[in-house]
Amino acid sequence: MEEDELLNREEVEKILSPHPLSFMGLQSLCIFLIAWGLIFGWLVNFSDFGGLSENALLQIAVWGLVLLVVSVIASIIKVLWRIFFLYLTVVLVALGVIWWLNLFDAVGLFLPVYTVVVSIIGFLLVELFRRSHKYIISNQRIVFKGGVITKEQRTLRYDKISDVNTKQGILGQIFSFGTIIPISQSGFGLGSDQSFAGGGVQGSGSKRVGLFGFFGGGREVQTPRTRSYYELHGVYPFKEIRKMVEQLVQGSEISQYQKQQVDYQEEQRDFQKEQRDLQKEMKDLLKKQQELSKSNEE
Amino acid sequence: MNGEAIDVVIFAPLAPIFGLILFWFIQLIFIEIQKSLLNQLRSSHDALIRFTNFIGIFFQTVCHALGYTLTRSGISRFYLSVDYGKVDPKKKKSGVFEWLVNMFLFIGPFFLPPFLLLAYFFLLSTNGFPLMMQSQFTFAENFIAFGSNLFAFSKDLVFFLGSIDLFHPAHLGFFLLFILLGLGIRPSYIGKRPMEKVDMFYDLKNIRYNILHKPLYLLIGVLSAYIFSYLNVFFGQSLYVAMFSFFGWASILAIFALVYAEVLLFWIYVLDDLPLGFRIINLLVLPISYSLLRVLFYSLSWPFAPQIGFWGSVIITSVVTILLLQMLTNKFKTLFPMNSIRGTSGGKK
Repeated sequence: MEEDELLNREEVEKILSPHPLSFMGLQSLCIFLIAWGLIFGWLVNFSDFGGLSENALLQIAVWGLVLLVVSVIASIIKVLWRIFFLYLTVVLVALGVIWWLNLFDAVGLFLPVYTVVVSIIGFLLVELFRRSHKYIISNQRIVFKGGVITKEQRTLRYDKISDVNTKQGILGQIFSFGTIIPISQSGFGLGSDQSFAGGGVQGSGSKRVGLFGFFGGGREVQTPRTRSYYELHGVYPFKEIRKMVEQLVQGSEISQYQKQQVDYQEEQRDFQKEQRDLQKEMKDLLKKQQELSKSNEE
Repeated sequence: MNGEAIDVVIFAPLAPIFGLILFWFIQLIFIEIQKSLLNQLRSSHDALIRFTNFIGIFFQTVCHALGYTLTRSGISRFYLSVDYGKVDPKKKKSGVFEWLVNMFLFIGPFFLPPFLLLAYFFLLSTNGFPLMMQSQFTFAENFIAFGSNLFAFSKDLVFFLGSIDLFHPAHLGFFLLFILLGLGIRPSYIGKRPMEKVDMFYDLKNIRYNILHKPLYLLIGVLSAYIFSYLNVFFGQSLYVAMFSFFGWASILAIFALVYAEVLLFWIYVLDDLPLGFRIINLLVLPISYSLLRVLFYSLSWPFAPQIGFWGSVIITSVVTILLLQMLTNKFKTLFPMNSIRGTSGGKK
């Protein structure tokens, strides 16, 4: 964080970035590609599946179909159709290159190499994305910075944090990293899980009597979820950072004891004010009395 | 009743049981050696310890859940973390069901994960698992049959491990599972604070408690084994010994997995003396040398290309490790030659 970005009396406590394994969801897409590339290479070039090694179109079909089927399954599980479109792009580009350069005779070599190269590029992109994250924890606020091309920044003051949610998966438990989602009073940091069920009935009799009905229902559950730019994603060491954030949040809030102290001080102030008013009244009375006695003497 | 009849009726059924206990005990000793190695690594490889612990806790929790499922108790809660696992049943059953669930919890982790690997190995094995046929059903023959079955299996396994082709996806998958099983057949500890150390005595104490707590169930188990043995004699089958051989194979697989995992852990332990950069280089030597040797000998169409690739890479890695240790650390070095020290201190020349 630059010096001029700091506020008055602001001190930086910690500058963090996500753990290298914290984007395993994205990395696993690349791991699958590399694994499939190697398996496909073995199937076509070294294994005893003779039919597959002779027919280029069959090779392309098997390679593409496996990628697309896996991407559909992954998309359904993660409810993220981006995975499908990503793999579809990989397949389409491969088909385009094979057709453009007329590589039908070398599909057995090209497809495994292409798959491995794409997965390596994928790894590099994920790493670039990870490195674009920067979280600055100061004594006054948390600053979330990120973005490879478009730079995004979120600033959250501790007094605006209403809840702190934490997540730690198995990899996180093993390597001591985890995600901390500070939820603001406005609800920033909350996502929602939606489920919907629907059904329809149609019946038509022979005497042109039609019947159609539709019923459905849905429910929504709010859950702590936000983009990695807006949370402390995969920070290490997780337990220390969580404690630090919770202490800073607690420190910004007025505690019960402090509240009692403030109430007591307000009482004291009111009492002193009353005393001052009383003294003033006494002084006025005394003054009047003196004036009266003076006039009596005259 | 002659001597042979007494042998068949009283002693013969015990032979495979003793054999199995022997192999299980060897397994326990190897697990203990691994625990000691993991303890050495604890200070510098915390994540590795947690990882191996997680595998152990995972197997243990799955075995516990399996116990509840098979006794039809149901599972109401399944909790799994790096240092703790817990399964709660829907219906709490007592008596023999509770005893069975506890047996699954205490003994299951030693055999159930190797059974998975055994099933995998069965698919890869070309010979299947040969069983010795019996005719006499005496103690000696039962013991020899058990030993022969285990020997035939071990021979196949050693041959497979010696000629494993890591460019074959199924072989690679087996090898990874094999190492994972070896690393985490039992957890090192349970719980955060205070941590309960899981060692050989912890396991033995639990098993002893479960057996002595309800000795009647053990008696019923032994009686069932005897009855099964008599039925085998009556019908002239070798299934009784085969059943115990099945457990013995699982035990042998686990022992081999533990040995491989211990070599890996020892390698990591040795590498700790090297600077980080050289450590990474050394770790990369194994896969790179394997890939190069494998491709080279495949392209030259040499026989035994997978064997040369695997063992060649192991030898190259060992040599590189020793050389790096000698060049960069004080390992394999003494300040003065040993002979000169012996000479000055008046020791033997």
